[in-house]
Amino acid sequence: MSVIEVKNLQKTFRVKKKESGLKGSLKSIIKPTYRQIEAVKGIDFTVSKGEMIAFIGPNGAGKSTTIKMLTGILYPDSGDISILGLDPKKERKKLAYEIGTVFGQKEQLWTHLTPYDNFKFFGAIYDIPEEVVERKIQELKEVFELEEFLNTPVRNLSLGQRIRCEIVASLIHEPKILFLDEPTIGLDPVVKENIRSLIKRMNKEYKTTIFLTSHDVGDIEKLCKRVIIINHGELVLDDTMENLKYHYLNKKMVEAKMKEKVNLEEEEGITILKDKGYNLKIEVDTTLKSVADALKLLNPDNIVDINISNIPLENIITEIYKKEEEK
Amino acid sequence: MLTAVKNQGRVSFLSIKYALMQEMLNRVTFFTNILFMILNNASFIIQWIVLYSIQNNVGGYTFKQILLLWGIAAGTYGFSHFFFENAYDLSQIINEGKLDAYLVQPKNVLLSSITSKVKTSALGDIFYGYIMCFFAGLGVVDILLFTILSIIGGITLTAIAVLLGSLSFWFQKADMIAESGNGFMTNFATYPDGIFKGIVKVLLFTLIPVGIVNYLPISILTEHKVEFFFLIFLFMIAIVFFAFFLFYRGLKRYSSSNLMSMRI
Repeated sequence: MSVIEVKNLQKTFRVKKKESGLKGSLKSIIKPTYRQIEAVKGIDFTVSKGEMIAFIGPNGAGKSTTIKMLTGILYPDSGDISILGLDPKKERKKLAYEIGTVFGQKEQLWTHLTPYDNFKFFGAIYDIPEEVVERKIQELKEVFELEEFLNTPVRNLSLGQRIRCEIVASLIHEPKILFLDEPTIGLDPVVKENIRSLIKRMNKEYKTTIFLTSHDVGDIEKLCKRVIIINHGELVLDDTMENLKYHYLNKKMVEAKMKEKVNLEEEEGITILKDKGYNLKIEVDTTLKSVADALKLLNPDNIVDINISNIPLENIITEIYKKEEEK
Repeated sequence: MLTAVKNQGRVSFLSIKYALMQEMLNRVTFFTNILFMILNNASFIIQWIVLYSIQNNVGGYTFKQILLLWGIAAGTYGFSHFFFENAYDLSQIINEGKLDAYLVQPKNVLLSSITSKVKTSALGDIFYGYIMCFFAGLGVVDILLFTILSIIGGITLTAIAVLLGSLSFWFQKADMIAESGNGFMTNFATYPDGIFKGIVKVLLFTLIPVGIVNYLPISILTEHKVEFFFLIFLFMIAIVFFAFFLFYRGLKRYSSSNLMSMRI
């Protein structure tokens, strides 16, 4: 069952053009000229209930614009959006009861209040009876381990603790879909891991659909089973994480410590990434040469130590972004 | 419908309460802000005392009416700025994309945004309004009437600020227009309307409705003109509707932003 349906979604921004310097400013006052920026150019996709989806792309690709249109913040120019059967354009308030949002770059909590008071306020925003809010706070306090700082003003919390509270605040009304826009931005690796496992748990325990945008490959890799890549306002990929990793580029990385030097420079399907004499790092394109053939070239008797791995997801994504730039 | 209004009222009340709690974090600043505003307003009345020691009538106003004019000006300004301070920052809120947080909540975006900040010094204005009532010798019933007039005027001022602030949905730098417009409403509020003639007077009862917010209430308080009361009440209703209409019309053009920000 689809909980998000997007059809031919478009959004264009009108931006004033201005030449540099005072002369440019004068010109733009007398005769302003504008240029159209097509932020989202007719995208289509659907998301099923309970899915954890990564919606990624380089800066300025149209990610935030899309997420803002899905949550009712921005009006699309054209196209259809259906979130749980609701149109964000016409039924913003109804939709708000059903979805939760966490914007890593924008804080929604009152900083002078404690998380507890903030949660109570959010309870009032969603018209939840006091006793239900109280029960929900107690429940989320356990899941998100907030006991320690539940009554400390938000301004005195660490960034990781704040983000945890932001997520809890967005869950008070038990949303069916949670939109997370860069939830781990600025967090250290330990806290990031902690937030990720909490998001995973939430998806498992509450069956919440997760729509995540992030530049952090770790978030994407560890949380999502499906990835949608957007660039220049267009969808460039919509596939499972597995397919993306193992079939999209069909490449393996081989790092080997050799007894004797080997020359693989002319070999088809092999790219030498690093050659420090006895230490070699190569990339094997499995559509042109199998890993077994590559190993034969290295000569198994000549190998002291070897490590064969997939191309890091980060490289794959960068490659996809670059390919799109070249088009 | 009634439940929705009740729930919206509850959220707006909580929002104002929490915003006030934020202002009360520092006791000294909180009280000095209020006190200095009262002193600041009081300093202006000195020039009127001097003026009225020379003549008994300025622009058709007696000294009592001047006191009431200052009272109404402070009361309406205080009510508006205390409860709806963010209406005066609406341009900035729109330009910096700070409506996002309110747009994802199932409540009225305009009410949620304008009630999430209070101005402490505006409490000083409200107190000053009552001090003026005391010196003008108003009775209990008239003080109650003064309170109602301050609330009507305060809501009208807020609606004007929302109208001006909403221009930012269409024009960049509309914050300057909003600032000037709101400035006009304050600057003309403390002079008797008798000193203005011709086109200026017409403007003061139309485009810059200081006359409706400040001058008519003086007639209501001193001459108990009921027809004026209905007039200012109807004007308030009309301008509030217009403010909501323009804001929601503009909201369709809202372009958000990706500025890093936090709610402080």
